Amino acid sequence: MVDQAQKEFRTRDLLYSIALWFLSWLIPDPQLHYRREYKFKKRDLFYLSAVLVFPLIWPDPHIHHLMVLAGIHGILALGLTLFLGYAGQISLGQAAFFGVGAYTTAVLTTRYGLPSFLAFWASAIMAAIFALLIGKPLLKLKGYFLALATLGFGEIFLVLVRENASLTGGVIGIFNIPFFSFAGFTFDTYLKQYYLIWGVLTGLVLFSKNLVRSKMGRACLAVASSEEGASALGIDVAWIKLGVFTVGAAFAGLAGSLFASVMSTANPETFSLNLSVLIVMMVVLGGMGNLYGPIAGAIFLTVLIDRLSRYQEYSLPLYGVILILLLIFFPDGIGTRLRVRLIYLISYFGRKKRREKVNL
Amino acid sequence: MFLRLEEITKQYGGVQALNGISLQVERGTIKGVMGPNGAGKSTLFHLISGMEKPDSGSIWFKKKEITGRPLHEIARLGVGRTFQTLQIFGNMTVVENVMTGMHMRIRGGILSSGLSLPWTREDEKRAMREAKEMLEQFGLFGRWKWFASQLAYGEQRRLEIVRALAAKPDLLLLDEPAAGLTYPEAKQLAENLARLKENGLTLLLIEHHMGLVMEIADEVAVLNKGELIAEGPPEVVKKDPSVIEAYMVRK
Amino acid sequence: MEAFISSTLFFLTNDPDEETIQLKTMELFAPLPQLFTSGITFGAIYALVGLGFVTIAKASQMINFAQGEFVMLGGMLTFFLFKEIQLPYLLSAFLTIPLVMLIGCLLHLLVIYPLRKASLPILLMATLGASLFLSSASALLFGTLPKALPPFINRPPIDIGPISISLQSLWVVGATCLVLLFLYLLSHRTLLGKAMEASSTDPLGADLSGISRHLMIFIAFGVSAGMGSLAGIFITPIFYVSYHSGTLIGLKGFIAAILGGWGKHSGAILGGFVLGVVESLSVAFMPSGYKDAIAFVVLLLILYLKPKGILGSPFIDSRRW
Repeated sequence: MVDQAQKEFRTRDLLYSIALWFLSWLIPDPQLHYRREYKFKKRDLFYLSAVLVFPLIWPDPHIHHLMVLAGIHGILALGLTLFLGYAGQISLGQAAFFGVGAYTTAVLTTRYGLPSFLAFWASAIMAAIFALLIGKPLLKLKGYFLALATLGFGEIFLVLVRENASLTGGVIGIFNIPFFSFAGFTFDTYLKQYYLIWGVLTGLVLFSKNLVRSKMGRACLAVASSEEGASALGIDVAWIKLGVFTVGAAFAGLAGSLFASVMSTANPETFSLNLSVLIVMMVVLGGMGNLYGPIAGAIFLTVLIDRLSRYQEYSLPLYGVILILLLIFFPDGIGTRLRVRLIYLISYFGRKKRREKVNL
Repeated sequence: MFLRLEEITKQYGGVQALNGISLQVERGTIKGVMGPNGAGKSTLFHLISGMEKPDSGSIWFKKKEITGRPLHEIARLGVGRTFQTLQIFGNMTVVENVMTGMHMRIRGGILSSGLSLPWTREDEKRAMREAKEMLEQFGLFGRWKWFASQLAYGEQRRLEIVRALAAKPDLLLLDEPAAGLTYPEAKQLAENLARLKENGLTLLLIEHHMGLVMEIADEVAVLNKGELIAEGPPEVVKKDPSVIEAYMVRK
Repeated sequence: MEAFISSTLFFLTNDPDEETIQLKTMELFAPLPQLFTSGITFGAIYALVGLGFVTIAKASQMINFAQGEFVMLGGMLTFFLFKEIQLPYLLSAFLTIPLVMLIGCLLHLLVIYPLRKASLPILLMATLGASLFLSSASALLFGTLPKALPPFINRPPIDIGPISISLQSLWVVGATCLVLLFLYLLSHRTLLGKAMEASSTDPLGADLSGISRHLMIFIAFGVSAGMGSLAGIFITPIFYVSYHSGTLIGLKGFIAAILGGWGKHSGAILGGFVLGVVESLSVAFMPSGYKDAIAFVVLLLILYLKPKGILGSPFIDSRRW
């Protein structure tokens, strides 16, 4: 009888530990986001193959389109996470760089007939130049003032776009931007666009992964932790902040270019404060100082918005409430907190069974 | 002359923190800076390391004037420092803290790091190896994977010194390295510092721990109320009446 | 899907074809003195909103980005009570203030207090989320049309030479002065004000000396919501207020507070008037489309050139700013 009971709870234990192992494999350690591994892990391969296979096992164009949007948001969030998650600075002007990218592509392809591949790179460079110019004076600030200043930049950008109708088409925007094409191959269906966007995103993830593992990543974390300590080690704090801000802006520029060529329109309403807030939200919910988190956050929020849109006029209040609840219950990112909760739950049941057996 | 301070003056509001201080430090020696609280020791360090600018006077390091240059430039010239209030990067592991100290010695900018070009990768590997060696020397190797914030206080103090040393400075400013350490820890620290001096490093340290200073310093400067009241070998300074008065009267 | 994303994403910004704040009486090419007086009126509102920000910052060193929504709610609720429930004008105005104060206190209890240990970006996002919720919920409850109340006293505007001053503007300026007086007395003459300031400058120290920091922040939220609603009640007779005008007014109030000197009551007032005047005078020299950008240009200039503001700021040196 005793033997039987012991045997039973051993197998259960095995099951629980397998579940725990799988969980910890799928969602990284809560603190792992700072402990950057120096190898390409199996987990990365798993994520990559999931991205590759996903549209094939779920052939719904609406989902594909949703994932295209999520990918673009993911690029934006990835750019911001370098600045917000690693260097610890906040920016509410990311949508403006997104807009710079989109308008660069729109103007270059529709007015000057440039191939979209070239316009793609030009957008990144343009956004980076804007970031360098604006970042130099602004990044002296920190905290709320930095948030407000970048927000102000975004608003000024919007007004400039609306008023310079001859270049940007004013409030109506620019239409009929050609689809992204490269070497004669046009990305004109949602499926093709999906692979385009997620391909670019994968490249950028690799870039950022290298970046955060290098001396630059360490310098960013050092700046976030203690600016005095960092500069006593010879790290030029102002330059590090500016550099990361510029990289984030260049990412946003790429995202904007892709957005313009996927949606084939660019109008000022897209690049408002609300998009900036959404991007920061993705980074916060994904967990700060983590590269995959913000992308997960981007997918999550894009899907959430899509699901909420069923409720029509109730959707916005609902959205606000959900955001606040998420912030309250998952302040360090959904992934990290969820993992802790799940581990607790799994091991709790394991312990409970064991307790019952012992009490017998 | 290795480090030379000429007639340094600094005021905060109306308070005279430093008043016409002139100091010289020779290469390869240990100089202790002492004085009661509020004597201006930390201000002196802030001025040398570039965190603040002096109101008048000049600071020369390795025949270059460094007065009023920003902190990171002075650090690049070879001045390392630790802080009285610890400035450990708690969001990184111990080994990464040390590798951050090597920032200046690793090649690569944002683009080359992002693209992981061969020379950056090579430097990263070298930095990792060196960092582990340094941690081993200072007895922190067992903790290399820990987060710096998880270390005990004494270990954090040691880590900060290791991090400053990782930059291979020519002059190291230590701001109360033994504050809050137990007696054996302080003893070990003194040994480590003596070893660093043998390796040719120049040290300037603020310390309240009399025994430590007397044991390892070649020269001692005593500050009181922003003025330099005594300077010389420890045995001489110890007997200086103005020094005794400064310590006795104030306490 | 797109429709929703666009409506979500573009919610906070003003519609292009419908100006958020529209001065009913403003003519396009009004003479400079006239622009100046209207600037003073605008400025008084920015000052009121800025005072709300400063009150909260004085108690907790945080910024409530939902401050502008209190203004909007003040206007909307008064309109609702007056027009829909048919209460007397004065009564509905007096009922609105405690109602909005209640909302402010609820905001603290439901959002800020649970996040008391959260970091800055999270607090920022939470208040922005609250702002989104308040504005969209009021659109749901009160409708999306812009609303305007009748003026308090129905008399023709006073003409002084070429300038005509509407009585309502005088009301607004007077109310600002009264609120300033109230806040001055609160923070300099009462123990409560001292306690609030203590809990802002050194939270732990305040806790140790027996001041309940969270209670202080709670009270500050109530007071600032009340001030916001007052601003809303005073401006609705002059401008159209609609569900999404809160955000922009809030931001401009914050800019005013920084311009005058962040953390000072007098700074918020001065900054408000300066910002209002600069903004309305700019209409004479620039296309009116640029008007909303002026405040942000002023913000970037002041943050770059003199982050302490005109009157100097007691907060700027502290860690968080």
